[in-house]
Amino acid sequence: MDVSVIDGLLGGLQTVLTPQILLYCFFGVFLGTLVGVLPGIGSLATISLLLPITYHLPPVGAIIMLAGVYYGAQYGGSTASILLNLPGHAAAVIACLDGNPMAKQGKAGIALFMTTIASFVGSMIGLVALIMFSPAIAQLGLKFGAAEYFSMMLLGLIAASTLASGSPAKGLAMVAVGLLLGTIGTDVDSGTIRFSFGVLELSDGLSLVALAMGLFGLPEIINSLSNAQDTKVQGKVTLRSMIPSRQEVKQSAMPMLRGSGVGGFFGALPGTGPAISSFMAYAVEKKIAKDPSRFGKGAIEGVTAPESANNAAAQTGFVPTLSLGIPGDAIMALMLGALIIHGIQPGPMLITDQPALFWGLIASFIVGNIMLVILNIPLIGLWVSILKIPYRLLYPAILIFICLGTYSVTNAVFNIYVVAIVGALGYLMLVLRFDAAPLLLGFVLGPLMEENLRRAMRLSRGDPMTFLERPISASFIAVAAAILLWSLFTVFKKFLRARAAEQDRVM
Amino acid sequence: MRDKDIGDIIGGLLLVALGIFAVIYSQNYNMGRLQMMGPGFFPRALGYILIVLGIIIAFPAFLRKGPAVKVNYKGAFWVILGLLTFAFTLDHLGLILTTVLAVVIASCASTLGWLSKLYLGVSVAAITYAIFILGLSMNMPVWPTLLTL
Repeated sequence: MDVSVIDGLLGGLQTVLTPQILLYCFFGVFLGTLVGVLPGIGSLATISLLLPITYHLPPVGAIIMLAGVYYGAQYGGSTASILLNLPGHAAAVIACLDGNPMAKQGKAGIALFMTTIASFVGSMIGLVALIMFSPAIAQLGLKFGAAEYFSMMLLGLIAASTLASGSPAKGLAMVAVGLLLGTIGTDVDSGTIRFSFGVLELSDGLSLVALAMGLFGLPEIINSLSNAQDTKVQGKVTLRSMIPSRQEVKQSAMPMLRGSGVGGFFGALPGTGPAISSFMAYAVEKKIAKDPSRFGKGAIEGVTAPESANNAAAQTGFVPTLSLGIPGDAIMALMLGALIIHGIQPGPMLITDQPALFWGLIASFIVGNIMLVILNIPLIGLWVSILKIPYRLLYPAILIFICLGTYSVTNAVFNIYVVAIVGALGYLMLVLRFDAAPLLLGFVLGPLMEENLRRAMRLSRGDPMTFLERPISASFIAVAAAILLWSLFTVFKKFLRARAAEQDRVM
Repeated sequence: MRDKDIGDIIGGLLLVALGIFAVIYSQNYNMGRLQMMGPGFFPRALGYILIVLGIIIAFPAFLRKGPAVKVNYKGAFWVILGLLTFAFTLDHLGLILTTVLAVVIASCASTLGWLSKLYLGVSVAAITYAIFILGLSMNMPVWPTLLTL
C-alpha cells in the first residue's frame, strides 16, 4: 500500500468520524439490514425512497447513507432465506439452498452467525479491491474523449442488459426505452423542449425519484400482495445457539476467501452484480467440493461462499461508478443520480477533485461494515421478530412513504401522478417479465450518452468511423459486439433445443 | 393462441408501438446532420431500434409456448387508487386526513376488517406526522385548508 492510500484513508476517517456522518452511516446500514431482511421491499426501492430525503443532507452524508442501505441489505438478505426459505432479495436466493436446511436441522443460529462473518470478510476483500483499482482506472479514464465515453457507455449498457437478464433482446429494449425517457425535457445543445406534451413540469425532464419509485416501489408492493402469506419462522435463535464449532469455522474459511474473489471480480464488471456473483460462488464450491452431494442439505460452504461473494460484489460495484462515472447496474445508477443531484459530476476526476467524498465513502464502508457486524449478531432476535409483521400492515405505510418522498422533491403533487402512471407501467412490465433495472440504467446514462455522441460526431466532422479509429473506443466496441454475438448465439442454441424438445414430445 | 408466449407478444408489440410513436413524434424536432446532430436525431434513432427489438421479441414468441400471464388486478387497482387519492386530496385535506384516506383505500387490496383499516390509517398518519413534519420539518398542509383559516 503506498502512502497516498494511507493518507487518503486517514483523511476519509476524519470525514466519517464525526457524530453527524456516523449517524447517517448508521441509519443507512440499519435501514439496509431491515429492508434486506424483509421480503417484499428491496434496496432499490428503499434507495429510491431515500433519494428525496438526501436533498436536505450534505453530499458526503447523503451518499454514505445510500451506500449503507445497499451493502446493509446484502447482510440482511440471507436472514429471511435461512429462517423462512424466502429470499429478501435476488442475491439471497442462493442462501435458501443450504441455509434453510441448516435452520431445519436446528442450526439457524450458526447459519446466521456465519453469514454475518462471511459478509464481513467479503466486504473487506471487496473494499481492498476497490481501493486498489479505482485510482488506476480513473487515471486511464482521464485519457478518454467523447468517443471513448460513448463507446464505454454503450458497452456498459449492452453488458448490463444482456448478461444479467434472461432475454438479451428484452434487456436491450428496456435500455432503449430508458434512453428514450431520458430525452424528455430540455435538450442542452439546442434548448428545444422534447416530449413534454405541453406539460410544464416535464420541461425539466422526468424526475429520477418518481421514475425509480414507480418502477420498483409500486410493482414490488402489488406483487408482494399476491405472494404474501403468513410466515412461520423456523426455530428460536439465541446468542448461545449462534456459536459455530471449530469444524464449521474451518470448513468456511477457504470458501469465504474464494467467494470474495469471485464476487470481487464479477461485481466490478458491468451487468454482473451481487446476485450473479453469489450464483457463481455457489457453483464454484459445488464443483470443487469432495462430496458435492452435501450441497442442498445444509452444507455450510454453500451458505458462506455466496454470502462473501455478494458482499464483495456490492463493494467492487463502486469501482466503475466512482472511477469512471459509469454505473454498472440500476442501484449504482441511483447513486450516480444522487451525486448529480448534489452537483457533483462523477467521472475520472472525482477521486482527485472530491477526495473527501471518495475517501470518506471508502472509510464509511469500513465503519459501516463494523457497525453491521455489531448490529447483526446481537440484534438477530429483533430481525426475526420483524419478520413476523404481516405484510398487509406494512404495505400501506410503504405506499404513504412513497407519496411523501416523491412530494418532497418539488413540494408538489405532480410527481405522485408520475409515480402512479410509471407504477402501472412498471407492474405491466413485471407481469410481462420485462426487467425494469436496465430501463433505469438507460435513463440515467441517456443524456450523457447523447451528449457524448453528438460531441464525438462534431469533433470527427460527421464521420462515424471515429468510434473505430480510436484504439480505446474500438476495443470497447469490439467487446460490446462480442457480447452481442455471444448472446445471439446462446439464444439461438436455446431456441433450437426448445424446438427439438417440443418435437420429441410430439413424436 | 392462448398457450403461446403471450407476455412476449404483448410486450414486443407495445415496444413496436412505442418505437413508431418515437419516430413520428421526433419529426417535430430538427434532425440536423451527422456532423451537427439536432435534438430529433437521438430519439428517432431510438425509435427505430425499439421497432426492430420489438419485432425480435414478439415474432419468435408466436412460435413457442410460454407461461401464462398472471395479473393481480385487485391489488394493482387499490394500490394505485390509494396513490392517486393521496395526490388528489393532499392540497385540500392536508396530510393527516389524506393519509388515513389513502391507507384505508390501499388496504382494500388485503383482507383487513374496516375497523382495522381505520386503526392502521390513524397509526400510519401518526408515524408520518412524527417523521415528516416533526422530524424532517417538511413544508406541507397538515390539516384541511378550511380548518386553518
